Amino acid sequence: MNETTKAPGIFSREFLAKHVYDIAAYAGLIVTFILFLVFSGSRLSYNLGTVLQSAATYSIIALGAVFVYSMGYMDVSVGQQVGVYAILLIMITNKLGGGTFGVVVGFLAILALALVCGAFNGAVAVWLKLPSIVTSLFLMFFFTGAQLLLMESTGTNSISMQATIKPANRSTYNLVLVICIAAVAILVTYFFKYTKLGKYTRGIGANELATAQSGVATTRYKVLAYMAFGVCVAIGTFVMLMRTGSAGKGTGSGYAMDIMICLILGGMPLSGGMKSKVSSALIGTFTYVLLTNDLTTMGVDLNMINFVKAVIFLAIVLVTCRKKDGVLPR
Amino acid sequence: MEKQVVIEVKNMCKNFGPTKALKNVDVKFYTGEIRGLVGENGSGKSTITSIISGMQKASSGEMFYHGQPWSPSTMVEAQEKGISMVLQEANTIPGCTVAENIFAGRFDEFTRFGIINMKRVTQEAQKMLDSFGISHIRAEDNINKYGFEDRKLIEIVRCVSDDTQVFVVDETTTALSLDGRKILYRLIHKLKDEGKTVIFISHDMDEILEQCTDLTVLRDGEIIGHLNREEMDQKDAEKRIRFMMVGREIGEAYYRDDYDTSHQQEVALELEHVSCGNIQDFSLQLHKGEIIGFGGLSGCGMHEVGRAAFGLEKLSSGRVVRNGKEIKSCYEAINSGIGYISKNRDTEALILEASIGENIVMPSIPALSHATFISPKAEKKLADKEIESFRIKCNSEKQWVNTLSGGNKQKVSFAKWTAKGSDVIIMDCPTRGVDIGVKQSMYALIAQMKKEGKAILLISEEMAELIGMADKIIIMKDFKVSGEFMRSETLSENDMIEYVI
Repeated sequence: MNETTKAPGIFSREFLAKHVYDIAAYAGLIVTFILFLVFSGSRLSYNLGTVLQSAATYSIIALGAVFVYSMGYMDVSVGQQVGVYAILLIMITNKLGGGTFGVVVGFLAILALALVCGAFNGAVAVWLKLPSIVTSLFLMFFFTGAQLLLMESTGTNSISMQATIKPANRSTYNLVLVICIAAVAILVTYFFKYTKLGKYTRGIGANELATAQSGVATTRYKVLAYMAFGVCVAIGTFVMLMRTGSAGKGTGSGYAMDIMICLILGGMPLSGGMKSKVSSALIGTFTYVLLTNDLTTMGVDLNMINFVKAVIFLAIVLVTCRKKDGVLPR
Repeated sequence: MEKQVVIEVKNMCKNFGPTKALKNVDVKFYTGEIRGLVGENGSGKSTITSIISGMQKASSGEMFYHGQPWSPSTMVEAQEKGISMVLQEANTIPGCTVAENIFAGRFDEFTRFGIINMKRVTQEAQKMLDSFGISHIRAEDNINKYGFEDRKLIEIVRCVSDDTQVFVVDETTTALSLDGRKILYRLIHKLKDEGKTVIFISHDMDEILEQCTDLTVLRDGEIIGHLNREEMDQKDAEKRIRFMMVGREIGEAYYRDDYDTSHQQEVALELEHVSCGNIQDFSLQLHKGEIIGFGGLSGCGMHEVGRAAFGLEKLSSGRVVRNGKEIKSCYEAINSGIGYISKNRDTEALILEASIGENIVMPSIPALSHATFISPKAEKKLADKEIESFRIKCNSEKQWVNTLSGGNKQKVSFAKWTAKGSDVIIMDCPTRGVDIGVKQSMYALIAQMKKEGKAILLISEEMAELIGMADKIIIMKDFKVSGEFMRSETLSENDMIEYVI
């Protein structure tokens, strides 16, 4: 370990080059948060609550998605999954009389379904040697159909839950959300950083062949990663229902892309690998939600928001996706 | 012909993070010479040439090319100005034809009114191939048809043209067979005679001493000294160069010095009538404390034997057995205590975009995991221990593997299995592209492993290595065993060569 000099300082070029992902991600969060503070004014605490409520579902699902994205894989079916799970949870709860018992049974049912879908997503991709995005496309279409059929069977455009799962008091509700996000974040961090699951999924993303030749049953961990994602999707669905209390044909649509954007904004490399971080999920979701919020409060026309988002997204991707390591090209 | 300075490097430094790869290097390259660059892994040979040829930039310092300041921003720019380089790693575009590869980036020359005349591209490419004496490669063929070696030759054809002033060969010969090498040697001597400059990087000391006209020795990012042809012809030249490279006496102990071929009775790994691919009915018993060497040409099937023994090949019949249990996958192989050092270091043995620590620890993770929890402290301890004992040149275990030099990477792929404590280790070309200092320590390690009762399958293209290390040498030819030799003092390469070819 000779020929070393002291570690590079915080403002040295090497440090900046090495941490360009993180710096861009944190900078994005800070800028959107400052704008948020400026434009919220006197409605700050109320707005904070709103941001938390809209970020809760996204952040929980994005946390689960970290396992999938760290392998360099994607999932486009999550929106339709959320839709179907939400409808099923409501139907089961209502069928069982709309009590707590019904909610619990309903939740366990969608949790089981989410695990099965996760296993399917991971396993089929491996068995058929397909890129996992193809199986998730299949699931997306499948669940779109299921969502429509389920809603047709009710004969309405939207069904509401008879049980109340949302705390009546706004501050209690916010506290519950914070606890949910924190609990999921802690669990995901633990499994991602300190157990085989996270180490192996990152290894698969970085070099699947070398990971397999190091004694990792890659198929098993691919399936497990998708199942962990499934758990988070189920919890995320529940949290979403706390807010809406109802579901319909359009529930969940667009979630898959939103989750992807959140992760990219948070600095998650799309190719996965060792640079994947749990923090990307949280930073990204809050940046994304704050950004939407900022644009609205700034008075940007609702129809224009998507264009502005597109530009900002492109800018961030341009900054983060460039190869900036001082490393020999391969 | 009066020698002129072609390239002058002044006070050049290059840092990778806190690692200093080059320290105030001053060096001149002249016309009409084949300049060898030697040094241990990580001494800065490839760094200098990659900066000259525009692959990366120096951190500080100046370069002059024909007396003008030189700072190429890309390899394409350097090549246009006459500086070309062939690398150690494959650098061709898969899925395209040979001709397309040769003229990649130069289609404008064949284009009229926006349409490329592919027929002419192919014709020209074939002419070039023929002029290099490699007519067996057809320009119209898909490049995927050709093996690693032929692709290297195609790369050489691509980089060298009439305008080439400086030709850099970076450890290319390790990938080439004797014929390929001869083609390359002929080419560099022709270039030299035309008054051009060749910079030749190699770990093969014999090759350096035979082919080069001048020699520059590097160590730890500094120029240690130069030798001219006269000095290279002196008797003790090799010893002197090695001393300059390593900075200390290598000593006599290099290969194993004992001729003790005894081993324990217990079979550590057995291949029973294994057939896979072109290999038919292959059987082998590897005992505890035994080193079995496999030799032959690269395509003789010896690499496949190693892969099959590690559960990487699907067997059409027969089985691989360890401790009475059949091994069907590399997952089972590793769990039963088999380790495998792949020949394809950068794609199979290592995760380049991961830290040294993560790579070393990867196979040992199940052992470190207690009730799902893997302690980062335990991981670091294990990684540091291996880094220390292999003397891997790095700043910390967090440094990424892709910042390491070839030899240090190879140490990491060794360290994975010593960390895991594997009892059977299959080594496929473990010392490929590794300099003598590292080789010496690896040989010492292999000898030590034998003493500890580990079973080793050593697959190597270097006969000397097998003679020096193995208890029993199996020579393969055309996927069959063509000869078997026991370790002895009198065994020489000449005894085996007829079984190889």
